[in-house]
Amino acid sequence: MNLRSSVKIQQEWDIVGARQIGRDRAKALGFGTVDQARIATAISELARNIYLYAKNGKIVFETIDDLQHKGIRILAIDCGPGIDDISQVMEDGYSTSGGLGAGLPGVKRLMDQFEINSEPGKGTEIRTVKWVR
Amino acid sequence: MNINLEVEVVEKESTAIVLLAGEIDAYTAPKLKEALLPFAEQKGILIEVNLEKVNYLDSTGLGVFISALKATKESGSELKLVHVQDRVKRLFEITGLDSIITIDTTVRGGK
Amino acid sequence: MKELELDLENYRNLLNQYITTQDETSLYQAEQFSKLSMQHNISPEEIIHVHIQALRELYPDLPKEVDNSMEFLLEAMISYGLAYQEFQSLREKQLELKSEISVAASMQQTLLSTDKPEIEGLEIGAISVPANQMNGDYYHFVTDYQGTLGIAIADVIGKGIPAALAMSMIRYSMDSFPENQRFPSEILQNLNRVVERNVDPSMFITMFYGLYNPLTSSFKYSSAGHEPGFFYDAKKDEYREIRAKGLVLGVMNDVTYEQFEIKINEQDMVILLTDGVTECRVGDRFIERDEVLDVIKQYAHLPAQEAVELVFKHFERLQDFHLRDDFTLIIIRKNV
Repeated sequence: MNLRSSVKIQQEWDIVGARQIGRDRAKALGFGTVDQARIATAISELARNIYLYAKNGKIVFETIDDLQHKGIRILAIDCGPGIDDISQVMEDGYSTSGGLGAGLPGVKRLMDQFEINSEPGKGTEIRTVKWVR
Repeated sequence: MNINLEVEVVEKESTAIVLLAGEIDAYTAPKLKEALLPFAEQKGILIEVNLEKVNYLDSTGLGVFISALKATKESGSELKLVHVQDRVKRLFEITGLDSIITIDTTVRGGK
Repeated sequence: MKELELDLENYRNLLNQYITTQDETSLYQAEQFSKLSMQHNISPEEIIHVHIQALRELYPDLPKEVDNSMEFLLEAMISYGLAYQEFQSLREKQLELKSEISVAASMQQTLLSTDKPEIEGLEIGAISVPANQMNGDYYHFVTDYQGTLGIAIADVIGKGIPAALAMSMIRYSMDSFPENQRFPSEILQNLNRVVERNVDPSMFITMFYGLYNPLTSSFKYSSAGHEPGFFYDAKKDEYREIRAKGLVLGVMNDVTYEQFEIKINEQDMVILLTDGVTECRVGDRFIERDEVLDVIKQYAHLPAQEAVELVFKHFERLQDFHLRDDFTLIIIRKNV
């Protein structure tokens, strides 16, 4: 069964809604407390980026629950300005996260899989997955 | 290391008076650069830097003055250093910079 | 990231012990526990999670509010955990960079190193110690087929790798001058043009170049804003400053340098240095130039190489083994 739903991110409090849905789904899948919090934080970071930079986008949730794997897929999709230099934003210490450990490198650490595609002027799509242990 | 340099700027018509106090070294030179360069790049002004309260200047500091001097030459402005203390003045003399930057000296007043 | 399942019991026991005894031993064990956890990459939020579970086991009747407050704390700690991981990763990168700089520094030392020439009747002592990994001072000896000795001493203003690159520029420019054009004023003039073209606006180089002719005992020299050295006149038993005014290299592109000449007689000495020697801080104040000379006088009677090394050790001690700037000292004595 692969349930899929999405949340629009246009205002700051949409971030909260996305966190809630993510946490509820994670809990239903059997993720432990700590992993639930990590997933919520990752969603928060992704949604915040959309809110701050793209102004408009969505977070997509997919449940992965088949015989072999169990996990959650989170997508962050926007039609914003895109990222000029992906390697730069993926570097630790890059200025927007400013020593807070967050930013995209932080999302990568919170989740198990991380993929990013971006085209300046067109938009950005980030795909992440976390597996139930 | 402490940030040991105070910078105060007073603008009067086409003159910028920059008052410095403390030490100009590798740590404080960026602060001086930030203050001087924008003026040095402006056209036709006089930048008067008061070094009365500067008791130490090293080669990094000299580098900032050299950059500023080069910028003023390009923008047609003038750089002048006033009330330069002995030890600092010596540095400008040895490096020959006193022949290309206008330097006014003064004997330290008081006892 | 590991689950702390195995250590939950351990944590619970330590926690219980502290709650019961409130002794320092338990707190010390807490410190050991956290160190071990960090070694295993356990993040702060996992510690809080373990704490929550331990609390529930120890106090099943604990008010729900306390439970909720701990969940709140867990969420708050996730950012700290991320910051810590970023810090660790940056620390690794820094170590990598440091070792790359080490490699660059030894390459610099090898590529730019100079041999002390053996010239009859001349004793040469030279020492150059960097304050950090890469040396911003530079000295070079060059001899030609006629036995003339060229001595260059320079201080590149600017630190680290850009400074080292500037030095390579000097060295290779110098090596490329034809043998019959090695007059100090010309060398500085040409070098100045090279440096001015290639170096960033705030970088500059001070340099002294001397040319000694053993057949005539004449020492010709020019200076580009370099810290003045000393000359020892053996007959008069007097030390004099080697004055030669000139503009530092790299500031203006059309500069000429005045050339001076002195005669070097028996037991006379030429002492060259960089401002790492004269900018020594003694306690709260700066050393005066005559004090620097006093130190040199103390050891001047010794063989040149021994003298420069002892002078260095003296200044090293004065600065508490903490050099502020690169230290370079050259002593040349005419023996015959």
